[in-house]
Amino acid sequence: MVVETRPGTSVLDRFREVNAAFPKTAEILEWKKAGKKVIGWLCTYVPEEVIHAAGVLPIRITGYSREMELDDGNAYLYINNCSFSRSCFQLGIRGEYDFLDGVVGGSTCDGVRRLFDLWRIYLKPSFWHVLTVPRKTTERAHVLYYDQCRRFREHFEEYLGFKITDEALKQSIEVMNEQRSLMRKLYELRKLDRPPISGAETMEVLNASFRMTKERFNQWLKEYLEELKTSGKAYTPRARVMVAGSVLTNADFLKSIEELGALVVTDELCTSTRYWSDPVVVDGGKPPLEAIARRYLDNFPCARMYPSDGRFNRIIQLARDFQVDGVISEIIRYCVPYAHDLPLLIDRLKENNFPVLALDVEYNTSGSGQIRTRVQAFLEMLEARRK
Amino acid sequence: MTVAEKKSRIESLARSARMVLRMIQGRPETPKSDILYFKMLASYYQRILNAPQEGKPVIAHTVFFPTEILYAMDLVPMHTEGTTWFSALFLGNTGDMLAAGAEQGLGPEVCSAHRALAGGFANGTLPRPEVVLWSNLVCDNTAKSGELLEKINRCPGYFLDHPFQHSPDEEKYLVAELADLVDFLEERTGRKLNMDRLSETVVRMDREIQLLREIADLRKAVPSPFGPMSFLKLVGVDYMFTGQPEAIEYLETVRGELAQKVKEGKGCVPEERFRLMLMFIPPLYLHNAIEKILAQFGAVMVTEPYFTAWPEVKLDPSRPLESVARKCYANPPMRMYQPLDDAAVKFYTESGEDYKINGAVNFAHVACRHTCATVKLFKDEFNKIDVPLLNLDCDILDPTSTTEDDMRAKFEQFFELLEDR
Repeated sequence: MVVETRPGTSVLDRFREVNAAFPKTAEILEWKKAGKKVIGWLCTYVPEEVIHAAGVLPIRITGYSREMELDDGNAYLYINNCSFSRSCFQLGIRGEYDFLDGVVGGSTCDGVRRLFDLWRIYLKPSFWHVLTVPRKTTERAHVLYYDQCRRFREHFEEYLGFKITDEALKQSIEVMNEQRSLMRKLYELRKLDRPPISGAETMEVLNASFRMTKERFNQWLKEYLEELKTSGKAYTPRARVMVAGSVLTNADFLKSIEELGALVVTDELCTSTRYWSDPVVVDGGKPPLEAIARRYLDNFPCARMYPSDGRFNRIIQLARDFQVDGVISEIIRYCVPYAHDLPLLIDRLKENNFPVLALDVEYNTSGSGQIRTRVQAFLEMLEARRK
Repeated sequence: MTVAEKKSRIESLARSARMVLRMIQGRPETPKSDILYFKMLASYYQRILNAPQEGKPVIAHTVFFPTEILYAMDLVPMHTEGTTWFSALFLGNTGDMLAAGAEQGLGPEVCSAHRALAGGFANGTLPRPEVVLWSNLVCDNTAKSGELLEKINRCPGYFLDHPFQHSPDEEKYLVAELADLVDFLEERTGRKLNMDRLSETVVRMDREIQLLREIADLRKAVPSPFGPMSFLKLVGVDYMFTGQPEAIEYLETVRGELAQKVKEGKGCVPEERFRLMLMFIPPLYLHNAIEKILAQFGAVMVTEPYFTAWPEVKLDPSRPLESVARKCYANPPMRMYQPLDDAAVKFYTESGEDYKINGAVNFAHVACRHTCATVKLFKDEFNKIDVPLLNLDCDILDPTSTTEDDMRAKFEQFFELLEDR
């Protein structure tokens, strides 16, 4: 892949520094030093605005940024729970998240639900909350999920000892919507024939968004967007690909694909497009929490949701919008919701003329060895199709 | 497998049940409950075979689906996972179904029961249903299995969204989901739900739960009056005939037999030495072998919190759908599905003490993430009451995962350990 660049330091390096220090970043430690609280959240169905509106720092719990031996994770969660859950738990049990004042999760999948259980039992956070997340998006499901968000807010207020006002929620919606809007602008650049940013670099930005204050992240991302406009950087790939599937935070996995000449131009991951894609739409007459709840349940769906067509349709739309040549599905072993969807998704993608490479991986694999060989063969096939 | 065999998986199950029945009926020592059980099994599968001639729609459904509603609509339920389990248990062969499931694109992380049922429908060994029903009880596999089955069978389906936690709002949500299920079935099958019939079923469900609780109580007796692995029959009856007169007759018979044994101080094995808690179902193709190993060592499973420990619950026949929802929530497998709070953890150790267990056994089914993720936790908890836990890696259907010799060796070591204590 040909890359044109100009010399100079980049805002991207700052994002990388945040990721390199995570979980105990300078900003988080400063925040704690100031006597303020930090709440860890797991799963994109947790309404971050509620945490943010309380003046608490929301941090996404993720595992090691590289594929690691997971001795403690295996011992506690057993080998057949996904390596994401095991990796998160191992970091937790080894004290890497000891700055957290609490943990909030959604009832997303079996692995993560058990991770919550064991986190509560063995790590004993002072605040703990799980939201029931319906698997449907009917009006009835919205009523239930809104009720769950209200309960979460009340429980959190009880823990904090003060009320989270509607005004504060509205301000948090603005901040989070700005982040979403900036991410959308970043992704728009990836639609270009010669995008100025790679998939691996985008993942560095996304990872940082979970690990710092929203306000500072938004400021940095604005600077980065300006920088990209004038950087003159442009990727000319052998093939444009989308990565879809299980949770992923290791930018090196995408880098290994890109080192073979492909460019990851879009993605369907809960740590990327599914995290930021839809804004909260505030309806003047309705409580802001209702708007938040509606957004989270209607957002780009996870494989856990029913019907799966909601997810498949959006994947196909992304593939068209970003003009991808093929889709790489990466499914973490024992990630059951995605494994069940895979045969149906492959059929849908093929019907729409998008070739698929299905990879079984461990969480945050770097994509070496056999994976490289398979990606290489896939890219050759994509090139042959284009000729 | 020949074409004829391929077409008759359900017939094979019905035939096997009848064969067992013929064998045991002539034996004077056979308990009446066993005869009733195999009669039920035969009639369950015969009913599926007869459905086309009788013009009754066959409704495929996943595990712990509230089939009371199907019975009240005179529909014919076909328990999907149950059928794969019975295939392993009675026919000892699910290889063709597992292979066909893999051909459908289902990876090894998908539970073998679900791979097998998708394969069974795809290769024609299971009959094509009119409708597929599934829910998120009890895991991601059940929640995610339905759409592929709809596609394979080219039939419509309904997903019942069972909330994760239990609050009045969540129970209300489940009741509304059940009401939609009824509308869906009425529209698809042209059959109306007979609410009076469902109310009668609720009365029997209430009785069934009461009987299951009484049976659980009788199993506290030392020595235990119930077979080392007989709990699967209790589970099977609830799978097949929940809220039906057959289930009541069976459970009343079991209760009577157990009460008599307790009165006489008779145990189910000649000399009871080890009382065990079971955490998950065994590899079904080794069921009989494991039962023999247990009996040989004087070991008995006395309680299974995830399967047979029903909580106290009162159902109201004047509110049938609400009662079905309440039963869904009361179902013991909800302990796997719901958050594992302190009360839930305490329930296991208290049950261990109530049932005077010496050890606990977990069959670590490779696809059951719920139970496997609690192995360390329960080891730690049982340590507090000085009860060791034996963990056995296996797959409930796939015979390549473990062998009888391996099971025997591990049980022997475990029993030696218990003996030494």
